[in-house]
Amino acid sequence: MKILVIEDDEQTASYIVRGLREHGHAADHTPDGRDGFLMAGSGGYDALVVDRMVPSLDGLSLVRALRSAKIDAPVLFLTALRGIGDRVEGLEAGGDDYLVKPFAFAELLARLQALGRRPPLAALTTTLCVNDLQLDLLKRTATRGGEKIELQPREFRLLEFLMRHSERVVTRTMLLESVWEFHFDPKTNIVETHMSRLRGKISRGGRDSELIHTVRGLGYVLRASSS
Amino acid sequence: MHPVHRLVRTASFRFAALYVLVFAVSALVLGEAIFVAARANLEQQMALGVQTETTFLQDEFRQKGLPALLTLVQLRGREARALDYLVQQPRGVRLAGEIPANPGLRPGWTNLIVSGEREEDGRPERVKALVTDLGGGTLLAVGDDLNRVSEVEEAVTSALAWTVGLAAILGIGGGVLLSRAFLARVDAIARTAEAIIAGDLTHRVPMRGTGDDLDRLAGTLNRMLDRITTLMESLIQVSSDVAHDLRTPLSRLYQRLEDARDQARSVVDYEEAVEAAMREADGLLETFSALLRIAQVEGASPRAGFRQVNLTAIVESVVDAYQPDAEDAAHRLTAQIEQGVIVAGDQELLTQAISNIVENALRHTPSGTRIDLRLHESSGDAVLVVDDNGPGVAEHDLPRLTNRFYRSERSRTTPGNGLGLSLVAAVTELHAGHLLLRNLAPGLSIALHLPRVVKSRPLGREDA
Repeated sequence: MKILVIEDDEQTASYIVRGLREHGHAADHTPDGRDGFLMAGSGGYDALVVDRMVPSLDGLSLVRALRSAKIDAPVLFLTALRGIGDRVEGLEAGGDDYLVKPFAFAELLARLQALGRRPPLAALTTTLCVNDLQLDLLKRTATRGGEKIELQPREFRLLEFLMRHSERVVTRTMLLESVWEFHFDPKTNIVETHMSRLRGKISRGGRDSELIHTVRGLGYVLRASSS
Repeated sequence: MHPVHRLVRTASFRFAALYVLVFAVSALVLGEAIFVAARANLEQQMALGVQTETTFLQDEFRQKGLPALLTLVQLRGREARALDYLVQQPRGVRLAGEIPANPGLRPGWTNLIVSGEREEDGRPERVKALVTDLGGGTLLAVGDDLNRVSEVEEAVTSALAWTVGLAAILGIGGGVLLSRAFLARVDAIARTAEAIIAGDLTHRVPMRGTGDDLDRLAGTLNRMLDRITTLMESLIQVSSDVAHDLRTPLSRLYQRLEDARDQARSVVDYEEAVEAAMREADGLLETFSALLRIAQVEGASPRAGFRQVNLTAIVESVVDAYQPDAEDAAHRLTAQIEQGVIVAGDQELLTQAISNIVENALRHTPSGTRIDLRLHESSGDAVLVVDDNGPGVAEHDLPRLTNRFYRSERSRTTPGNGLGLSLVAAVTELHAGHLLLRNLAPGLSIALHLPRVVKSRPLGREDA
């Protein structure tokens, strides 16, 4: 992926750029909002990381300007301090995701990957398939190898999210935000318990290899078994 | 400032002065109107009297002749409050009466000077007279004293002067008294403010208990001061709590790093030490962001980002999220949720607050505890009650549960930072609601009341 980082804090910027390059992405950086706008307009980026507070053109205005110029590269906002309503404000300006500093690099990477490879025809997709696991989004049913799996509504949403992002790491906070709409970090292991129940339901008694894998300290990944 | 200057500059004094001025002007206008009306009336009466007398004398002259007229004039001239008379032959020869003869007299109304001095006040007597021709150049003049009109004028003027003068004295005196009373009370407020500026927050504006406007102002000021004092105290409390509660994890972090420096010999040792240090740092960051969040919520202006929030959906989603956890810990989590309870609020904050309440109940009770959650609407308020039958909280600890970093003796060993219910309290405050903590003996009951239910739909269900 080709990623533009608009961030005026040198240390954060080099931390992000170095990490992205290590993971095989092309990353450009500018500390200035106006330069960022010009680069984003001509650079053909797959995703943008934008700090809310950058000189000459603040992050919100920058993204609004990009959107009105019909540049629709996904934008992930970074902010040092999240005020009440900031997230909604960021999304309304045309941002796609929101991350509060300090953050783990792995979290940023997972979110960028989730943004960068969004299925383009998501609205028209009615079934999701990974191996023999199938999800019918209209009937809200799940089957594995033709056998019906009884899922609670929340479990269905959890599985749907994993399948839409199959082969990519989804973090615990991404799941909390998308599946439960919890924009905070609960002290209880609600993701873990729901995940273990979901696993139990789709594993079919351990006959097949596991589809859902835990990525230690980060989150989960739903991966088609290669065998 | 000079005390007299201060007095004159008070609002009450200015009001009094203005009032006196308005009164004086209206009294003058009224006086002038009375004056004009009275003079016109008096002059009319005088003219009428003079005319009647003239007609009477003319009749006498015609019937009885000149000598009878002369006798009659002399007779009437001697009466008390007599009119003034003159019977004159051509070329200015006076036959009777006290008005001096005047060869220039012509029939009709005219003003004359009768004598050098009046007997009462020594002013020249001015007379308004009606002159008639009796035939053959003999003239009859009947007049009345014009000074009578002036006397009335003077009486009215002096009454007016007294009225205005007295009103001014009373008004200004009253204004001074009023202003001094007012100034004394303003001074009391100012003294309180000065004392507080000087650093003594215990001062309050004295109240008289009369319930008048200044008393009410004093009451409001005192309540404002109470609020400021509470805020100051909580600020001091929070700063010392933060310092105290962050020292422990920071020193643990320091010890781990020190240990690693002194003891670690292999890469594995170092990795372990780094992991442990990162965990400590994570905990610290989490505490900081929780504190920051509470501060943001407390500092936010209500209704800034408020929208219609489906409380039913939030509570259902929270119950749904914690149900598996509760089951794993062998808690019994039950919920009775009224459908379609909608309030004006902040979705994210309400979700977090409600999660915190449920989490609090889950984490501070032993397994087997029942946790009952009820959401309903009651007289315009949305009410969320979370009851448990766990060990509960000591009565004297109840008011402190929402304090930052407060953790009861029993919960000190469980993980957590003691900020969960502080956030709940802050969110409740932001939504102008109130939080009720009760001891159920056994167990704890937390009731969250949120005002402004937008609407409550008994039917239909909105899934989160």
